[in-house]
Amino acid sequence: MSAAQGRPLLQIRGLHKHFRDVEVLKGVDLEVHEREVVSIIGSSGSGKTTLLRCVNLLEEFDGGEIVLDGESIGYRLRRGRRHRLPDRLLSRQRAMTGMVFQNFNLFPHLTALGNVMLGLTKVRRMQRDEARALAENWLARVGLAQRTGYYPSQLSGGQQQRVAIARALAMNPKLVLLDEVTSALDPELVQEVLATVKSLADEGATLLIVTHEMGFARQVSHRVVFMDKGLIAEQGPPAQVFERPASARLAEFLGSARH
Amino acid sequence: MDRFLTQLWLARDAIVGGVLITMEAALAAIAVGTVLGLAIGLLLVYGHPVVRGACRAYVDIIRGTPVLVLILAAFYITPALGLQMDAFQAGLLALSLFCGAHLGEIVRGAVRTVPHGQSEAGRSIGLTFPQLLAYVILPQALRQALPPWVNTGVELVKASTLLSVIGVGELLLKTQEIVGRNFMTLQFYAVAGALYLLVNLGIETLGRSLEARVRS
Repeated sequence: MSAAQGRPLLQIRGLHKHFRDVEVLKGVDLEVHEREVVSIIGSSGSGKTTLLRCVNLLEEFDGGEIVLDGESIGYRLRRGRRHRLPDRLLSRQRAMTGMVFQNFNLFPHLTALGNVMLGLTKVRRMQRDEARALAENWLARVGLAQRTGYYPSQLSGGQQQRVAIARALAMNPKLVLLDEVTSALDPELVQEVLATVKSLADEGATLLIVTHEMGFARQVSHRVVFMDKGLIAEQGPPAQVFERPASARLAEFLGSARH
Repeated sequence: MDRFLTQLWLARDAIVGGVLITMEAALAAIAVGTVLGLAIGLLLVYGHPVVRGACRAYVDIIRGTPVLVLILAAFYITPALGLQMDAFQAGLLALSLFCGAHLGEIVRGAVRTVPHGQSEAGRSIGLTFPQLLAYVILPQALRQALPPWVNTGVELVKASTLLSVIGVGELLLKTQEIVGRNFMTLQFYAVAGALYLLVNLGIETLGRSLEARVRS
């Protein structure tokens, strides 16, 4: 994969986060450039999902800064103290990123089309016709043109996850966060979702991916980041990270991931 | 039988009037109680801890008090507080508070059944909190709440009989007055019973058709 990326889109500096007395992020620094695909790997408890959730402002964080497209997100300083931004601003900033969840989290009371349209009509404030056309277009792109009127309960896991991808992408986010998007799927459904993510990467979307699928991370990423105990332990191009791990921790992790 | 039909004919205005007052009281209490219950239920889940505590106290106190006591309290306490209310208004106040507390608890439970991932998904596409409630949480929660909501309506119609105690001329009081004139105790209480059954069957039918509609 070429590393022909643009300017830095996401800048995470010194990110700290703890749950009660457990420190899960201990000062994470990470940059993601425009059109770059970055995968985060690491054992469970390493803080990778928490990092992703901080970027989408689903978690509060205790220190450090996240800058998205030049805008500091989640907090502002006033008289030397950090304040969480008001809900309305958080919502606007959240809309700058798209999130795809491990458990899909589709809205069960809405059809596939309704799921994709909701953000378009309520957040982007598009006219219904325009929103419908765009939503249908995105569902077609994830291979679900024939399923627009189906409810989530009528779709397979792989189809649900593809609807979730369409829902996130239709909002035209600057950055897409994918949180273990195949972990809840039956093995035979994993490939269709990975192929969909691969096509996004090929089209130049900026992706930050948390995954356990090492083969996929290697195939799709420009850069792979290994997190260990709340810190980035090692990062680099996939070939380097997977074939010449510098640290013993990463070598050990890769060994166990290979079973 | 002839005598019963004659008496029934003579009492027709009183009976119809009683049914109307009963339905008016029940419907008004359901309307006020629904708005109140929705607000209380949401505050119980999302409110500031102090507000949540106040709502919890309201719900627990009202639910722990017999409806008859609530009605008597509304009737005797409001004038002492300087509020001018007739018996019907005082009764309506009591029934609305009763209904609001029950529905508040029902709404709270229903909102709690919506998985947390739904809120996160809604937020991740940029919905504000009010939008999240309106388009994601409540459509799912209210489906859960519909059967107990219908049930509360039926309970209110039955509880409205207690308004007779403070002199509201609803169906039960009217029936008592009629029986007081013609001494046909059995027959006219049977008529009243049949009318209550009819009203409640109507509410349940309405509820079932609503449920069928939201399921499809």
